[in-house]
Amino acid sequence: MSDLFAFNGAEGAGYAQPDPVSNEFEIPKKLQRNRLPRWPRASEPEIVRHYTWLSTRSHGIDSGFYPLGSCTMKHNPRVNERIVQMPGMNDLHALAPASHLQGLMAIFHEMQEMLSHCAGMDTVTLQPVAGAQGEFTAMRCIQEYHREIGQANRDKVIVPDSAHGTNPASAAMCGYEIIEVPSLENGQLDLDALRAVVGDDTAAMMITNPSTLGIFEPDIAEAAEIVHKAGGQMYYDGANFNAILGKTNPGLMGFDAVHYNLHKTFSQPHGGGGPGAGPIGVKAHLSDYLPAPLVVAEEDEEGEVWFDWYDPPKSIGKVHQWHGNSGATVRAWAFYRRYGRDLEKMSEHAVLNANYLRHRIMNPSKEVRETIHAMPVDGAPADVVKHEFTLSMTPVKEATGVTGKDIAKRLLDYGYMAPTLYFPMIVPECLMLEPTETESKEAIDQFADDFLTILAEDPEVVKTAPHDTPVKRVDEVWAARNLVLRHPMDD
Amino acid sequence: MRPYGAPRGEPLVDQLPNLGREAEMLAAMGMDSIDDLFSDIPEQVYRTEPLDLPAPQTEEEILREARMLLGTNISVDSRPSFLGAGLYSNYVPTMVAMLATRGEFLTAYTPYQPEVSQGMLQAMWEFQTMVSELVGLPVSNVSMYDASTAAAEALTCAVRVHDRKASQKSTIYVSDLVPPHRMSVIENYTQGAEIEIKMLQHDDEGMLDLAAAASAEGSCAIYVEQPNALGLLDPGLCDLKSIVGENTALVVGVQPVSLGLVAPPGDYGADIVVGEGQPFGIGPTAGGPIYGLFACSKAYIRQMPGRIVGLSRDSDGERAFTLTLSTREQHIRRHRATSNICSNETLIALMGAMHMALLGPEGIEKLAQRNAGACAATKAAIMAIDGIEMVHPNGVHFNEFAIRLPRTTSDLLSFLDEECEITGGFDLSQWWPERENELLVCSTDQIDAEDIEELAEGIRDWLEASE
Repeated sequence: MSDLFAFNGAEGAGYAQPDPVSNEFEIPKKLQRNRLPRWPRASEPEIVRHYTWLSTRSHGIDSGFYPLGSCTMKHNPRVNERIVQMPGMNDLHALAPASHLQGLMAIFHEMQEMLSHCAGMDTVTLQPVAGAQGEFTAMRCIQEYHREIGQANRDKVIVPDSAHGTNPASAAMCGYEIIEVPSLENGQLDLDALRAVVGDDTAAMMITNPSTLGIFEPDIAEAAEIVHKAGGQMYYDGANFNAILGKTNPGLMGFDAVHYNLHKTFSQPHGGGGPGAGPIGVKAHLSDYLPAPLVVAEEDEEGEVWFDWYDPPKSIGKVHQWHGNSGATVRAWAFYRRYGRDLEKMSEHAVLNANYLRHRIMNPSKEVRETIHAMPVDGAPADVVKHEFTLSMTPVKEATGVTGKDIAKRLLDYGYMAPTLYFPMIVPECLMLEPTETESKEAIDQFADDFLTILAEDPEVVKTAPHDTPVKRVDEVWAARNLVLRHPMDD
Repeated sequence: MRPYGAPRGEPLVDQLPNLGREAEMLAAMGMDSIDDLFSDIPEQVYRTEPLDLPAPQTEEEILREARMLLGTNISVDSRPSFLGAGLYSNYVPTMVAMLATRGEFLTAYTPYQPEVSQGMLQAMWEFQTMVSELVGLPVSNVSMYDASTAAAEALTCAVRVHDRKASQKSTIYVSDLVPPHRMSVIENYTQGAEIEIKMLQHDDEGMLDLAAAASAEGSCAIYVEQPNALGLLDPGLCDLKSIVGENTALVVGVQPVSLGLVAPPGDYGADIVVGEGQPFGIGPTAGGPIYGLFACSKAYIRQMPGRIVGLSRDSDGERAFTLTLSTREQHIRRHRATSNICSNETLIALMGAMHMALLGPEGIEKLAQRNAGACAATKAAIMAIDGIEMVHPNGVHFNEFAIRLPRTTSDLLSFLDEECEITGGFDLSQWWPERENELLVCSTDQIDAEDIEELAEGIRDWLEASE
């Protein structure tokens, strides 16, 4: 075990610094710091070893298969990391004059255009730094749009019960009342339920398609028509965009606004919880409300292209202090250039892999089937799924007492990250799996075999999993009861 | 073994492992074509034409183009730069990026499975501890998006905590020296809860008007910055908590490096401290990804935004870490969550933690001294120039100060940029139009004596050129 606060070496250990240029300054007595923060005193080799040790106790995509549904944990090409650490990126100041940022702004501009095209939208802002912030930003634009056209009374936002939790949370932060509509038995959107709740107080409907069940909503265009007829706006949660690039787009489906998760579809590494990036695209009627500034391209007399900042006339202002997560934008640019017009192939392979994995798990050989206590059932019936699918572990739980959580924990012993657990909430004992396009057939075959092996294992072994991880099952209740949120320092 | 017929030389062959094996996988499922997988998309929304995008490129081609494009940018490290205003030039030790980009950190998602995420969880718990020590409050989350969203969500958090007992319902007071872009974020985040924002004035010396601040008593929160946006340290803020009282949250925005010398706000009664973590861990990086600091006293824990790591134990009783207090969050509480935040800036906070750990207690003090020293030397050099005035001649500055020029700031900045290859600072009229002749000069630890001399000379040349 390595404890950072146990390092207590020489003063100033660690990073040695040049001396100050001057000592001619004085902090007023009232404002002076009396006691230095009790940070560790460690040399560079000690710190290197500490964090290297910590890294061995973490699991990333680089470590192994990561079928975390809805999170699109695909391979992160390393050249993207190299690019953002180059001079002219890491050391740029956001407030530098536009003449200092032309290369960066060229990339921003290309990304605005590319994202607009892929989603069938008219204008894109790169400012929101996470999917949830993209949702919030778009809902703010819709809110200002309604106020401007004299429909400030539209104060309700409709979300399906299968929606990501951020959808209702983001809309509620704008001040909207949330109306949740139940899904049909098969997990699909219930148009009658939707018709029953829309009205002249509807501001918008927020929905992801394919849904969180991995199913493409067959009635999406009709849903859009119902909401539009009532005067509401359609918002597309782009968390599942990886499934459909090139095959369809939110614009075609009738959406007015969309967010993109650059950390999902466009491979910005998720870094253990962030950074992400959540640009939004909107149709023309919402463009004037986007956060400021956008990048525009202008041509001078000699045909030279010049990039400039542009503040939309009715802008909601700012949601991030600077230009959003520029580094994520540049990584996503490098990623998209790799695929170019073949981004469609990316989605094809994501869907191919998801369907193949589902097929492999749900169709074990006769010999294997005979060893299994009980098989899971599909979270939603469908001939094909898109980039992800759900399984309900209820039959397994009924037969053996093994829960979805137990299976998730047992998968860790096999060197896998667990699938998304107990989401969407409408599927009982739910596991949600998304292999992404960057897993090989062999990796998927092996995972499916191991998954089936777990279903055949001694239930006691599974219930007490994990066994081979750096720590055994962690007591979350203890953490919440005791709330030890920092090192006690024992002084 | 790849089967025969796999494409060779296609740019995507190094990214898509199953390229050329589609038929085999489809056949296993009883399908003939990739199109079968998309047969569920209704015809009316199905696209048939290819994406109108360039041809795929290889790693080498992309790298070459990136180098060309980014090479046209002018970065703060390539010349003397006195531009700060919330985003600071710094030096990040080499070790930081090397360790933070280890795949186990870089390519992980949020640590939902603590048993295989102990490394990142422990690193964040250590981060929480170091931030707590730095700002003088017991609780820190694992990061917000930036200082502005941290400030905005601190204020909505404070309203949730204090509104029941407040005599000024849903009302907050904010310093009128908060930069407009941060004000805009605050307005976007507070309007949904119908929070009323009242502004607090400053005197001619840039110090908060404490008599006027007394009117904030009975409101939910008061937000001030130390140092403020004009670079001034304000000793009066130490008395603010006793002026506004127990039932009004004192929220203080900080430049975290200054806390190597300046009293932690927790020591003078701050309930919530926010700030831009950026100077620890990452360069200005065109404004993102950076990370917002958010620390608070225990009374705010159940209403705070963001993820937080707690100590726990495993089924063998061994020390372990896990995300905790999740019942505040959107994935559980949905529209009743304390915030919509899900993805945050963990990796950048990790880089910040590494930087802090490497600095140590004496290192942060010295880093603050280097900033204050560079600022003092720059101030002295500029004050020696006839025709330039300090906006606040009696003010105490940390690493930024405002000067008043005989002509417009934009004119000086263009001159320094074009004639001297110096980035001279921030034109304050971009924030406050009435400050059209004012320049905000920032000197961080990256400014040396030579840079200061060059700036002073450049200003002298400009003054002479305009005579």
